[in-house]
Amino acid sequence: MDTTQLLKGVLDLAVLAVLRDEDGYGYDILRRLREAGLDEVGDASVYGTLRRLFAAGLLTTYVVPSEAGPHRKYYALNAAGRDQLTRSGKLWRSFATTMDALLDDRGLAA
Amino acid sequence: MTVTEQEITDYVARVRAALADLPPAVRDELTEDLAEHLAEVAAEADGSLVERLGEPEAYAAELRGAAGVGAAGGDRRFSRRFGAVGDRLRARVRRWDAQLGPPLGYATASEFLRLLNPAWWVVRGYLAAMLVTVITTGGSFGLLPSLNGSELAGLVLLGGSVLASIWLGHRTAGLSRPKRRLLLAGHAVLVVFALVGLVSVDDRARWNDYGGYEPISVDGRYDHIRDVFVYDSEGRLVQNARLFDQNGDPIRLGYPDCPDLRDPHGTGNPLLRAYPYCPDAAPFAPRPTVTAPGPVPPPLPTASGEPTATPAPTATPAPTATPATSAPPAPTGSASPTPASPSAGPTG
Repeated sequence: MDTTQLLKGVLDLAVLAVLRDEDGYGYDILRRLREAGLDEVGDASVYGTLRRLFAAGLLTTYVVPSEAGPHRKYYALNAAGRDQLTRSGKLWRSFATTMDALLDDRGLAA
Repeated sequence: MTVTEQEITDYVARVRAALADLPPAVRDELTEDLAEHLAEVAAEADGSLVERLGEPEAYAAELRGAAGVGAAGGDRRFSRRFGAVGDRLRARVRRWDAQLGPPLGYATASEFLRLLNPAWWVVRGYLAAMLVTVITTGGSFGLLPSLNGSELAGLVLLGGSVLASIWLGHRTAGLSRPKRRLLLAGHAVLVVFALVGLVSVDDRARWNDYGGYEPISVDGRYDHIRDVFVYDSEGRLVQNARLFDQNGDPIRLGYPDCPDLRDPHGTGNPLLRAYPYCPDAAPFAPRPTVTAPGPVPPPLPTASGEPTATPAPTATPAPTATPATSAPPAPTGSASPTPASPSAGPTG
């Protein structure tokens, strides 16, 4: 089991989480994830996740023109996205707690 | 910025090529923003796209995984999407079901339709028998089934297939899924067959209703006929003639488009009118009394230049042959080689 496998299940949640306080464009979101410690996340994964969340109606987009360089497509959480973030966040916390307890019971150090 | 527009275009093209197995709609949706996104990436740092993102094929594979479209052609994603559509559709149908019920006098429309189930089984048996009829007789069929031209065998077939259909109807609920699908496909065939058959039977029924003048044992060569004139061997117009074929079926030709003198109010059945419908329109003038001038009785009116002494009222070269005189005109100027008797002269 490596981080990539784990990421698959929680990348949605991670992307929704980094968009909670501030809208962001693709590369910006990737950078936030990496800064948060998810070093192994790939650009295609983030791009694909954004497309999927957008198609699922959890994100809205808008384009911001820039003087130097290309226009940037910003993603923002909508109400459904915030809702999803809350629910997925709770689910993850309970799951993580369960896993922690399971490992603790068997004396495995963190 | 070291990445050119061309490099981005190429990269996108290769990613799309690696996703070629996906349904076009899914692929387009997945990659519609890719060029813009890569432009953003390119603007952030130096180095070629391949150096920073890896080969397009690897990028495509990662994209596939993240977007949830498996390598199996995106079926999962599609069925998920259609699953959502299906759920919405089912919810709508349920709503209609509940709304349409009360006007029919039932709680739901499906409750009413369930009562019609046995009727459907009977109709299904009938349709199956008709399908067998059509297959065995090769296309032409009426309303009753027949087997190899035998009506009795057809009725036995009808009874058997209706009973089988009812039997099947009671057991449909217990069928396995593939068998149920097979049954559904069979139903689709029967329904299409029923619609086609209905249209064709309806067509023929309409044609028969149309005045009933469908010609019997007559083909299109006689379509132009409006009336029939029968002449006897004396060249006289036969009134009230009726024509029959070898089976005794009346031969109907033409249509009565002038009033019947014997039935001026048209109360009689027009189909029972005899030929000719319009005696006044006879192509050859009737000659009620013939003073046969020659030794040979006048032949049937023909258009031949038969060199007889007595030209019947025909289009023979005789120049004065047509007027309806009571006696045949003199064969003046005709090429009649026979020794015309002197009594055949014009009598006025």
